[in-house]
Amino acid sequence: MDLVIGIGNPLRQDDGIGPRVVEALPVFPSAEACVVCELVPELTLRLRGARRVLFVDAEAGGAETQLGRVTGRESGWGHTLGPEGLLELAARAFGSAPDAWVLSVPGVNFGYGEGLSDRAEGFVPQAVERASRWLSEGQVSADGA
Amino acid sequence: MEREIRIEPVTRVEGHGKITLHLDKKGGVRDARFHVTELRGFEEFCVGRTVWEMPALTARICGICPVSHILASARAGDAILAVRVPDAAHLLRRLMNLGQLVQSHALSFFYLSAPDLFLGWASDPAKRNVLGLAEARGDLTRKGIRLRAFGQETIERLGGKRIHPAWAVPGGVSRPLGRADRDWIASQVPEALDTIRTTLRLFKETFATAEECTVLGDFPSLYVGLVTDDGAWEHYGGVLRVVDAKGKPLVDGLDPARYEDVIGEAAEPWSYLKFPFYRPLGYPKGMYRVGPLGRLNVCDRFGTPEADAELEEFRARGSGRSGRVFDYHYARLIEILASLEQMKTVLEDERLLAPRVRAEAGINAEVGVGVHEAPRGTLIHHYWVDPNGVVTAANLIVSTGHNNLAMNRSILEIARRTIKDGAFDEGILNRIEGGIRAFDPCLSCSVHALGRLPLEVEVVGPEGAVVQTLVRD
Repeated sequence: MDLVIGIGNPLRQDDGIGPRVVEALPVFPSAEACVVCELVPELTLRLRGARRVLFVDAEAGGAETQLGRVTGRESGWGHTLGPEGLLELAARAFGSAPDAWVLSVPGVNFGYGEGLSDRAEGFVPQAVERASRWLSEGQVSADGA
Repeated sequence: MEREIRIEPVTRVEGHGKITLHLDKKGGVRDARFHVTELRGFEEFCVGRTVWEMPALTARICGICPVSHILASARAGDAILAVRVPDAAHLLRRLMNLGQLVQSHALSFFYLSAPDLFLGWASDPAKRNVLGLAEARGDLTRKGIRLRAFGQETIERLGGKRIHPAWAVPGGVSRPLGRADRDWIASQVPEALDTIRTTLRLFKETFATAEECTVLGDFPSLYVGLVTDDGAWEHYGGVLRVVDAKGKPLVDGLDPARYEDVIGEAAEPWSYLKFPFYRPLGYPKGMYRVGPLGRLNVCDRFGTPEADAELEEFRARGSGRSGRVFDYHYARLIEILASLEQMKTVLEDERLLAPRVRAEAGINAEVGVGVHEAPRGTLIHHYWVDPNGVVTAANLIVSTGHNNLAMNRSILEIARRTIKDGAFDEGILNRIEGGIRAFDPCLSCSVHALGRLPLEVEVVGPEGAVVQTLVRD
């Protein structure tokens, strides 16, 4: 099973782009999706059942969407838990963590308010397409296996 | 030379605060202050909004305990509508608050305080967090994560989402509970009970006699909390009781709507958090404590078998009512056990599934007070409305506020015991922070770093010059 996690607060304008992208994704067999305001330790329970995970998150600034594999691990832990820390917690508490990627989508406005800026809105189709392709590749890989 | 030690920010609490320790010329601790350095201003935001909006609006005070504000606000709304809330709605609200107690206490114990307890107060601060705990005590961490997830899932099954569920409303709740969701919650209780039994046993074996838990932050105070009409532990409804340091009731059976008869509020120029006090003794002599330790000290019993056995042992270990601040952790674990036992009882009540869950009415009273027990203590919402139900004034006394005087006293006691001749290290400062952390204060839902955040301690001379700096990074 592949898991897509949209991270962000829709009440902080472009911070809501992660949930927006995830909610626009088509349905894929053997894939699950969820949206969260922030990463929390309880998400390790969902990671346990996943073969791969994709985090979709806003990035302040940035010129284009970026899809990258998570290779590092976080050994510290803050009130704001990042993907690296969540994966490390899953590995330590449950013995393993799935392969993980982050899809970063540029945003410019992070103040109070609903709705994306025009610039962030413009990146949504591209982000949905990249996330869909990532899911399709996983589908091929899983079928092949 | 007089000096000042500043701990800023205080970590592993919800919100922003700092501690200053004022040393005298001999290096002893003259005074200690816990400053809350943020302002939320919700009492002002409420003015001009309708009473029906208040639960959803005040839920936004916090991302950890929105359920507490929703329920207190809905109860204040019940009083303004002056309706009879359906039995099912009362049971559902009660069930949600029990889920809230479980998830919030689990967060406080396993994520925020267990690293101190299981890894050591003076252990490497870079590892003194839940990741370090997972490395050292993987099984305990797994249990803690699953326990909190259960509490959160209970809230979601009832209210539709885990954070800020706009569910409780004046007159009841917005939707009934389905049988499948009721059965799912019930199916998870045994595992949660197993987790808390294991954790309680481990806590008692390891920490109940540790120096930090038995010596530091031990001082007498009054205690305030809700109890049932016959004196049992209560979290939703009931009457207010105030007891002295030995458990003798000073006020009993007080209608919570009359809280102002016994609670006054003071302010200090160095903190945004108000200082509630027991009115008959005045300020600051009228210091009291609420929350897990307060509730255990005001009640006669829990009314459930396992929690009552734990309460008896708790009191035997502490020779009666405990004044030890680190016993907040112990009390928190016992309250999780009690909450799970009470959840079983509520879930077995067939009235829980009744379809009628809301009574509707117009404005029938100009004032409403909602009081209930949040994880951190007694929570009071007090609204005044016009004939259209628009709020004209609001007074909120949040659980953490009740403990403000006691939190300041706690760090003073710990600092005086641990800092000698002006000497201190990171481990000592963490014990002092731990004196705040034990209360599990919720200063806001603001984001701040934990574990990794630099902690800067400055020793300032009488002329304002920094004479010593300690940085934790």
